Amino acid sequence: MSFQDWIFSFHLLFAATLVGGLVMSWIVVVALYSADGAEETLGFGRVGLISNVAIVLGLPGTIALGIWLAILRPQFHPWDGWIIGAIVLWVVATVAVVRSFLEYRKPVAKARELRSAGRVGASEELAALNRSARGLLFRALGSVAIVLIVIDMVYKPGA
Amino acid sequence: MFAAIRPAGQDFPVLLHIVGATIVFGALLASVGSLALARGQVRMFRIGYFSLLFVALPGWILMRLSGEWIYRKQGWNDVPDQLQDPTWLRIGFGVADWGGLLFLVALIVGGVAVLRMRSGKSGAGLLKVTMSIAVVLAVGYVGAVWAMTGKPNYESAAAAPASTTATGQATAVTVTASEFTFTLSRTSVPQGEVEFTVVNHGKLAHNFWINGQQTPLISPGKTATLTTTLTPGSANYLCTVPGHAAAGMKGTLTVR
Repeated sequence: MSFQDWIFSFHLLFAATLVGGLVMSWIVVVALYSADGAEETLGFGRVGLISNVAIVLGLPGTIALGIWLAILRPQFHPWDGWIIGAIVLWVVATVAVVRSFLEYRKPVAKARELRSAGRVGASEELAALNRSARGLLFRALGSVAIVLIVIDMVYKPGA
Repeated sequence: MFAAIRPAGQDFPVLLHIVGATIVFGALLASVGSLALARGQVRMFRIGYFSLLFVALPGWILMRLSGEWIYRKQGWNDVPDQLQDPTWLRIGFGVADWGGLLFLVALIVGGVAVLRMRSGKSGAGLLKVTMSIAVVLAVGYVGAVWAMTGKPNYESAAAAPASTTATGQATAVTVTASEFTFTLSRTSVPQGEVEFTVVNHGKLAHNFWINGQQTPLISPGKTATLTTTLTPGSANYLCTVPGHAAAGMKGTLTVR
């Protein structure tokens, strides 16, 4: 394997980590949707933390190595339209995903508060935070942007 | 690597393959995370199992079927017997198929555990087995992504390396490669040693395989030489870059 092959391989491993983390985060979002107790919210919050780490590793790793490849490979240029498009989508995805992280921190913080107060049973307030429409919207926006990046990468000229 | 360049028409199955593989990977991570961090919570055990059943399983089916579609589109099922599947392809199919078997075991063991939990018995031990299998599968998929993208031993695994020196009595044949065709300076050759000079006039990298030997990957504008001994009959030739033979870079040379 050449140096470029290794860079390409790590670029796609980061991309797999990113999209895999996103799939994982959707499973957590669906699981949280019907959670109304402090313990289960905290439990899924811990699983969500793993998906967040995967996404946080995948986002910068994919873009950094992708731009590096665009510079290294003679058939690509960083100013190609499909690369500019991918960078714009990456910014949209990053902003949306970070906003969704912030939204889904709220139920975890609330669950900690409830547990400290000894209230481990069902809580309507906690259930409402777990079904956050804003969190869902930002997560969906980030996911759509990442899926569009994957389509852009697969269909790009010279792929 | 240049070998990653695909002829048109293969993008959709590749997209499905990538989507399927990442769904499997993400669902495996979710399953491992939920089962490892459940701390006795039955609902988290169930989510861990149902991630495998309802998310990873459909993802695996999508990945495997689209992988087979790509295999056929790229013409790997149609190449001569002498040309073995390269290492990266064997790793990919190995992880998918043996992983699929392990996956089935994880689903059965996990299913028994969930049923036991429903009837009030403990299933945590069995779910730990499911989790361990999911960890092994997740690691296997990382290896498969590395193999499928980096394509280790790509040139050496596909066929024996070409001899590049002729003994002096060789018949010379010039082969012009472009997208996606080969043009040979002669359509038939006498039996014995033949020296092929392969010129890449295309915009993509190509190679030339004949009689169990192949040139290295030839960059655009470059030339490579391959010398081989042919016996009377017909000799198939092709480009072994994925999809190029299926797109038209193959043919038959008559040996008199």
